[in-house]
Amino acid sequence: MAQTAIPTLNFKQAALTLLPPGANFDACLTCGLCSSGCPASGLENMDPRKFIRMAMLGMDEELSTTPWIWCCTLCKRCEYVCPMKIDVSKLVFLARGNWPNDRKPAGIARSCHLTQLGASTSAMGMPPGDFVMIVDDVLEEVRATQPGFAHLQAPMDKHGAHFFVNQNSREPMSEPDEMVPLWKILDLVGADWTYSSKGWAAENFCMFTGDESAWRNVIQQRVDAVNDLGCQVWLNTECGHSYYSMWEGVTRFGLDAHFRMDSLITYYAQWIREGKLPINARWNTQGIKFTVQDPCMIVRKSYGDSIAEDMRFVVRTLVGEDNFVDMQPNRSANYCCGGGGGFLQAGMTDQRRAYGKRKFDQIAATGAAYVLTPCHNCHSQIDDIGHHYGGHYGVVHFWTLMCLSLGILGENERHYLGPDLRALIE
Amino acid sequence: MTTTLETEVLIIGGGVTGAGVMRDLALRGIHCVLIDKVDLCAGASGGNHGLLHSGARYVSTDVDAAIECRQENERLKRLAPQCIEATGGLFVGVEGDDVGFAENFPGLCRRAAISCDELTVAEARRLEPQLSDRLVKAYRVPDATVDPFHLALANVDHARLTNGSIYRSHTELLRFDIADSEVRAAVCRDSRTHAPLVIRARQFVNAGGAWAMNIARLAGCRDVDLLYAKGTLLVNHDRMTRHVVNRLRPPGDGDILVPGGTVSLLGTTSTRVENLDQIAPTIEEVDRIVREGAAMIPALAGARYTRAFSRVRPLLQGAGNTSDRAASRGFALMDHASQGLANFCTVTGGKLTTFRLMAEKAADLVAARLGKQQPGTTATVPLPIGDAGRWTEPGAAPRHWYKLNNPADMILCECEMVPQSAVNQIVATAPGEAAPAMSPPGRPKGEFRSAQHAGCLMSLEAISLRSRIGKGPCQGSFCGIRVASYLYDTGYYSDAAGLAYMRDFFDERFKGQRGVIWGAQAAQMELAEALHCGLLGLDALEAD
Repeated sequence: MAQTAIPTLNFKQAALTLLPPGANFDACLTCGLCSSGCPASGLENMDPRKFIRMAMLGMDEELSTTPWIWCCTLCKRCEYVCPMKIDVSKLVFLARGNWPNDRKPAGIARSCHLTQLGASTSAMGMPPGDFVMIVDDVLEEVRATQPGFAHLQAPMDKHGAHFFVNQNSREPMSEPDEMVPLWKILDLVGADWTYSSKGWAAENFCMFTGDESAWRNVIQQRVDAVNDLGCQVWLNTECGHSYYSMWEGVTRFGLDAHFRMDSLITYYAQWIREGKLPINARWNTQGIKFTVQDPCMIVRKSYGDSIAEDMRFVVRTLVGEDNFVDMQPNRSANYCCGGGGGFLQAGMTDQRRAYGKRKFDQIAATGAAYVLTPCHNCHSQIDDIGHHYGGHYGVVHFWTLMCLSLGILGENERHYLGPDLRALIE
Repeated sequence: MTTTLETEVLIIGGGVTGAGVMRDLALRGIHCVLIDKVDLCAGASGGNHGLLHSGARYVSTDVDAAIECRQENERLKRLAPQCIEATGGLFVGVEGDDVGFAENFPGLCRRAAISCDELTVAEARRLEPQLSDRLVKAYRVPDATVDPFHLALANVDHARLTNGSIYRSHTELLRFDIADSEVRAAVCRDSRTHAPLVIRARQFVNAGGAWAMNIARLAGCRDVDLLYAKGTLLVNHDRMTRHVVNRLRPPGDGDILVPGGTVSLLGTTSTRVENLDQIAPTIEEVDRIVREGAAMIPALAGARYTRAFSRVRPLLQGAGNTSDRAASRGFALMDHASQGLANFCTVTGGKLTTFRLMAEKAADLVAARLGKQQPGTTATVPLPIGDAGRWTEPGAAPRHWYKLNNPADMILCECEMVPQSAVNQIVATAPGEAAPAMSPPGRPKGEFRSAQHAGCLMSLEAISLRSRIGKGPCQGSFCGIRVASYLYDTGYYSDAAGLAYMRDFFDERFKGQRGVIWGAQAAQMELAEALHCGLLGLDALEAD
C-alpha cells in the first residue's frame, strides 16, 4: 500500500507565530551551543542549529520529511542553553504533528490510539475494571502476607480525598508489585489519597505524536476525573512526561482544573522535612554509590532547578552525603537520556542507543552502582543503554530504596535490587 | 625576476563588465588576460542590490536606459537563468507619495515597452503580506534578481574554457609602457607579494568602473570624466518579500528592497564623494535607509541587519545634469583616438543589468581594431551552467550536502551550510586564484598538495567570494575559523598565512557590521570579539 505523502510545512512562517519576537529564528547567533549540547546531534545528519538554518534557507521539504524529528526527544536543552532562548522543540513538535498517522512511528501512534480508547486513558489499553481488580488483588495479597500491613489501603474513587494519585500503566500491567512500596509510603505519612478508576493512567504518548487535539482529549479526561472526585492535588507518580503533559496541557488548552498539580518528588522532600518519612542512610554500611537522573520533563521543562534540589535532598538523606555522586552536567542542564519524546516506542533502536551514549558516559564517569530515576522512560532507557554498552550499574525507583531504608520492602518488591543491595537486607 | 605574460587583449578591472568583455572576446576567438587589483566584483559590481532591472525604475528619468534594461533583462533571463531569480517586482506607493507620478507611471512604462500591471491594494498585500497597510497604489513589473558574483565567475570560466583566456586576481596596474601611439605593455605587481609582472598585449581595455578615470590617466588620457556617487546598502537578516519592491516615486533614498536568497538588500543612498578610498556607511545613512524602507515594509523598522556597505557608482559627467540621480545611468565607450592612442579604450558607467551590452560594444571596438570581423555572440549563446559559480547561490550548498547525506562531509559554514566538499571544489577549481598548486579534478576530494608559494593560496576572502561562506548572520565569525582549520588539516594552509587570512577576513567582515551593531547583531559581534580576540588572539597577530 502506498504511503501517505508528508505535506510540506513552511517552517520560517510557522516560527513567526510559534516563537516570540527576540527568540525567533532571526535571533540565532549560530553559536552552536544547542547542537554541541544535544545528544541527537549527528543522528540522521541533523542537529538543532541545522534545523534552524535549514528553515531560514527554505529547505522546508527536507525538514518536513526528516526522521530526525523522532530522534529529538523534545527535551528543550537547546532552548535552555541558547543565549537567545530559541525553542527549536516547538517546530519539531509541529513537524511531528504534520506527519500523516500512517507514517508516524507505529509504537507511538499505537500508544496514543490505545490511550484514547477507554476511560482509563491507559496507553497499554488497560480498562478501568482490570485496574480496580489488580489493585484489589495485590492489596489483598500484601495484607495477607506482609506482617504489619494488614491494614494497608489503596483507596479507589474516594470522593474528597486530598491526593489524586495517578499510576503509570506499566505497573498494573507488567509488574504490579511495584505499586506496593508507594502505598506503604503514603500509608506511613498518613496521606489522604485515592486512585481513580477513570483517568488514572499517567502516560500520554499523544503528546509525542504532535497531535494537539489527541493530547488535549487525554488531558481533558484526566482533569474531569480529578474534578469529579473533588481532590485538591493531582499527585504525579515517579514519571516524567506524565507530569509535563498534564501541567503544560492544562495551560496550553485552557482547561478548568480545580486542583493543583504536583510531583511526588516534592512531597518526598516535604515529608522528610516534616519528620513524617523517617528515612536515613544507616542501611548503606557498604558505602554503595548512587547518582540521580534529572528527568527533563519535571526539571528543565516544568519545575526548574527547585525540584532538582528537592531530589538531591531526598537522595542525600536516603543514601548518605558521601555516597551521592552527581552527574556532570546536572539539574536543568542535564542531558536527556534518550528515553523521552517517545523514542523508546519509536522503533529506532540504533539511533536511540547512539543518543543514549552520552548519558551512559555521564553515568559511567560517576562510578555509581545505581541510578535513581524518578521517571519510567528514563528508567527503561538507562537500563537498556547500561546493558548495551556493558555498564555495571542498576536502575532503581525512589520508592524502592525508601522502603529498603525503612525496612519495609517486601520480597516481591526487590526486582531492581542488585546482589549488593539484597545482601544488606536478606 | 619579472614574469612576462603575452596576450592579445588585456582587460583591466574584474567587475561584471570586464568579465563580460573577456567572455565576449574569447567567444570571437581572441585570447585575453583579465586582471583585478583585488578580485572579482570588488567594486560596484559586488556592492549593489543585485537587481536585474525591468527598466521601470528609469522610465521617468532616462527612457533610453529603461529600454536597454528591458532588452537586457529579457536576454539574461533566457541566457543565464542560473544567475537569476525571476522574482518579479512591485512598485508601491504609500499615503503621502506623489499621486501624479503614480498615475503617469503605466504610461511611462508603455513608452519603453515595459510590461506593467496595476494591482489592487488587496492583491498586492496578498502577494506580499509585509507591505504597509498605508499602501495606496501598486504595479507589477518584470524586475528580477541577479547574482553578480555568479555572473562574473561564470563569464570568466566560460572564457577560460573557450580559448584558455586567463583571469588573475590581486594584480595591480602600476603604469603603461607607451610608444608610437600604442600601449605596449602594462607593468603590474602582485598586490600581496609585490612580485612584478609585465603583461604585453595588442589591445588594452580599461573596465575599471569607478577607477576608470584613474586608469585612463595612467595612459595619459584626460577624456574620462567621472562623478563619484557613494551608495549605501543594508543587508537584512531575513528575506522579507518574494518580489523586488520599489517605491513608486522618482528615484530616491532607501526605496528599493531586493530579496536575495535568504536575505534582503535595502537601499540605497546617493552622496557625492571626491575620492574612492575610505568609503564607509554612516549611521545617518543607515537610519535614513531603514526609515524610508519601513514606509513600504513596516517590519524593516525592527528587523535585524547583518551588514551595511558602501560602494562608489561611476557616473558619466554629462552636460546640463543637475543631480546625481538624474546623471545618465547609460554607459560610455571611449576609443581615446583623440588622446593619441590607437589600442586603448575605456568602458565605464552603466549598470549591472546592461553589463553584457556594454561588454559587447567594447568587444566590437577591440575586435575591429584587431581586424577580426566575426560579430559577438553573447546575445545568443547561453552562459554554460558549470561549477564555477554554483556555490554563490544561497541554498545550493545545503541542498547538495543534504542530498549526499554523508556524515563525514562536515558543514564548515553553519549559517549558509557550506560543507567540506564544497570548499574542496572551490579551492581546487574555482576561477581566479592561481590554480597550479591545487589537486587536479579527479583526485580524491580533500587531498591537496601543499602550495609552494603563499601568494598562490586561496585566501578566506577569496573562498568567501566564491561561495556563501561568511554571508550569514555570524558574518564569518565561526566559519572563518572552521574553514581555515579545515584547510590546515588538509595541509593546504601550513604556515602563519592561514592566521593572517583569518584576521584579514574578519577585518573585512567587521567593517561591514560597524553600521548595524544593535539588537541581535550586537550580541553576535560580542561573541565574535570573544572568539577572535579572546580565544584566538588575532588582534595580537604580528603585522606582516
